[in-house]
Amino acid sequence: MIQTIGNPHAISPSAPMQPYWAEISDIVREAPNVSTYWLKFLDPGLQEGFHFKAGQFNMISVPGLGEVAISISSDMEDTRRIGHTIRSVGNVTSAINRMEVGDILGVRGPFGSWWSLDHWIGRDIVIAAGGIGLPPMRPLLYYISHHRKDFGKVIVLYGARTPNDLQFTREYKTWQDEDIELQVTVDRGDDTWQGRVGVVPILFYNTRIDPRNTVILTCGPEIMIRFVIFEALARRVPPERIYVSLERNMKCGLGSCGHCQVGPFFVCKDGPVFSFDKLQPYVNVEEL
Amino acid sequence: MTAQKELIRALEAIPWFQMMAPEHFNKILGIAKIFKFDAGQIIFHEGDKEDYLYVVLEGRVAIEMSVPGHGRIRILTAEPMEEVGWSSVTPVVRQRTAGARAVLPSRLVAFDAAELRKLCDEDHDFGYFVMRRLVNVVAGRLLTGRLQLLDMFANPVEQKED
Amino acid sequence: MADIYASVGSTVAIPKAALDKLVAKLNQMGYSVLGPQIQDGVIVYKSLKGAHDLPKGYISQQDSARYRLVYTGHPRYFDVTPGAQSWKQFFFPPQTELAEFTRDEKGRWQTAEQVTDLTPLALFGVFPCDLAAIQIQDRIFLREEWKDPIYWSRRQSAFILAVNCLHPCGTGFCASMGTGPKTNQGFDLNLTELDDVFLVELGSEAGRLVMEGMPILPTSAFWLQAGQKSLEDASTRMGRSLPRPQDLPELLLNNLDARQWDDVARRCMSCSSCTQVCPTCFCWDTRDSADLAGQNARRERLWDSCFNPDYSYIVGGNSRPNARSRYRQWLTHKFGSWYAQFGTSGCVGCGRCITWCPAKIDVTMELKAIREEVQA
Repeated sequence: MIQTIGNPHAISPSAPMQPYWAEISDIVREAPNVSTYWLKFLDPGLQEGFHFKAGQFNMISVPGLGEVAISISSDMEDTRRIGHTIRSVGNVTSAINRMEVGDILGVRGPFGSWWSLDHWIGRDIVIAAGGIGLPPMRPLLYYISHHRKDFGKVIVLYGARTPNDLQFTREYKTWQDEDIELQVTVDRGDDTWQGRVGVVPILFYNTRIDPRNTVILTCGPEIMIRFVIFEALARRVPPERIYVSLERNMKCGLGSCGHCQVGPFFVCKDGPVFSFDKLQPYVNVEEL
Repeated sequence: MTAQKELIRALEAIPWFQMMAPEHFNKILGIAKIFKFDAGQIIFHEGDKEDYLYVVLEGRVAIEMSVPGHGRIRILTAEPMEEVGWSSVTPVVRQRTAGARAVLPSRLVAFDAAELRKLCDEDHDFGYFVMRRLVNVVAGRLLTGRLQLLDMFANPVEQKED
Repeated sequence: MADIYASVGSTVAIPKAALDKLVAKLNQMGYSVLGPQIQDGVIVYKSLKGAHDLPKGYISQQDSARYRLVYTGHPRYFDVTPGAQSWKQFFFPPQTELAEFTRDEKGRWQTAEQVTDLTPLALFGVFPCDLAAIQIQDRIFLREEWKDPIYWSRRQSAFILAVNCLHPCGTGFCASMGTGPKTNQGFDLNLTELDDVFLVELGSEAGRLVMEGMPILPTSAFWLQAGQKSLEDASTRMGRSLPRPQDLPELLLNNLDARQWDDVARRCMSCSSCTQVCPTCFCWDTRDSADLAGQNARRERLWDSCFNPDYSYIVGGNSRPNARSRYRQWLTHKFGSWYAQFGTSGCVGCGRCITWCPAKIDVTMELKAIREEVQA
């Protein structure tokens, strides 16, 4: 499933590294060091024409500092503004973290392969995410909420380091109201935490899955992904119905600079969403 | 409902009990009782003698360890149908390595540990069945412990030295 | 002299002395002519004023970690095979500006207009391996969905004067890779150097235009045979060989845990020389900078290498933290993954990585060792 750039709305074919300018229209603090930046292109025509699919990412530029790959975390069907949930980990993201509404960022995109929801009509869906792996899934959850009858059972298994690090807690009830089952855990709790303490893969133990009809989607730290896959395979879900979203160092988003390669794949172009059968030969090779 | 009927209903709801041979089921029924705990109530303390193996029926139980200087740390929670206190069945350890406390109002079935060990010694088929289940529990706990140890969600900014 | 009309696709002859006229003609037509010249004891590609600048009379002796230019006084211009430099530096410069940003009166960022130098380049003396390398890089920088503007502006108008390779370089294995010693298509003019004449194959209309007014001689069967024989001779004098390169993707991607990777890791210093001299390596990095006032910023593109420690940085660590994983990445990409990504091998058999590796690592030997380990 090699996806070429599908909707090149903010990518110029004659100057593909050229950023398009967008204004921060809103900032929502999600967790310590994590905020969602809602961006609107300065060119209203571009904003109107911009479309993306769940799982894709944009390259966000801070002139003078650099450019980073950020998954789009907003609703595919409401693109009046585009949400990017960003964790502050390096120079560029820390600089974005200090920005205010009205500041300008460069945007190129959307890039990458996507969660192909149209192939999963009627299927049960299990979304297993950890930490900052939930934001790339949020466009999926919005879509599923709005088209709930298209899918069977939908279960979200989500974990983070501590209760403070859980993303989008304000939206959990909305999803649950749409008949999306949500199981949340944290690596370490505190006295006020009434929920589960444990790790995401273990959440599978309390889940009933019909392997003949289930699709498993996962995103988060790679070690968590490995064990989620382990649990999925143990429950006889076939590799071609397990999908992962990988993360690698990205400088161009175009499959040109070479940095994001994993085996023969460019994560920016052939991924970040991969079906596990494609990755299977490479997943257990150390330091690939 | 009589206490006996309640017990039978409770045990029949537990998946691995459903796979037990009827004679084994009756044996374990004989050493079982049901306990109820309020939210926040302590089930056992670290250091207590091991008296019961528990299976959570309803609610949620937290496993906690006391660390001098850090207070009580909640290591893990057990959900309905999960075991608490598996170490009471293994021959070597003779006291609780962690404490357990009900997080939500909970209902647990408890099996007298000494009696359970005796039943396993006397009937090796029964013993094998029970140990097989507990080995799975321990494996799951070990994996969880390892993943928690790797601290895979840690924000790298906190880890960077330069 | 009779007026001979040279058409595209034909082969004509010109006297040796006319080579200078070719350089002059290209200069006159407005090309910036670049060609091989000796500097600091090696062959470099730089601005060519006339045929007298070419390394006539020299040969190069190359082996693992060895490169010598030796003057033997022979009458040929193109017996010296390439040094460390390749032509990729012209279409894909080692350091180039991607974008310049300035803040307007309202403090908002704008992208400044970029000025591109549109002087067409003439690459004078491109060996078959290097022409194949250019065509491999074409697939990387010029795609259906987008074209790299820097590569595109220079490549479109570039004139390529290729030269059949009659004096194999010692570390090359172009015959194994199907890229030489005879030039495949993609040239404007292709020369075969004989003792008294150059045979000139006209590959394009641009080539034909350059040949207009040249002292063309009709091509005799004798010369054609001599050219043919020289090429056949050259094929037999390859310094290295690589059997069945098309089998390598499967071999490499199925043996990512071979012991040979540990073996080469003990020798590889991760110095990245191989990636610098390689005419197809294309990895790059961006570097952003700003002035102190924060009013102007620029983004540059620089050559990068999979051997650089920061290349495989991911949040929280490095996904390839040692020479073993990096060497494996380079070799399996070059000879394996490249096929899936771009439809050809990434290697043209020019031999530069063998010549310029200070640790004497020879890719043909490494691949042979992996084959033998797997077959054992």
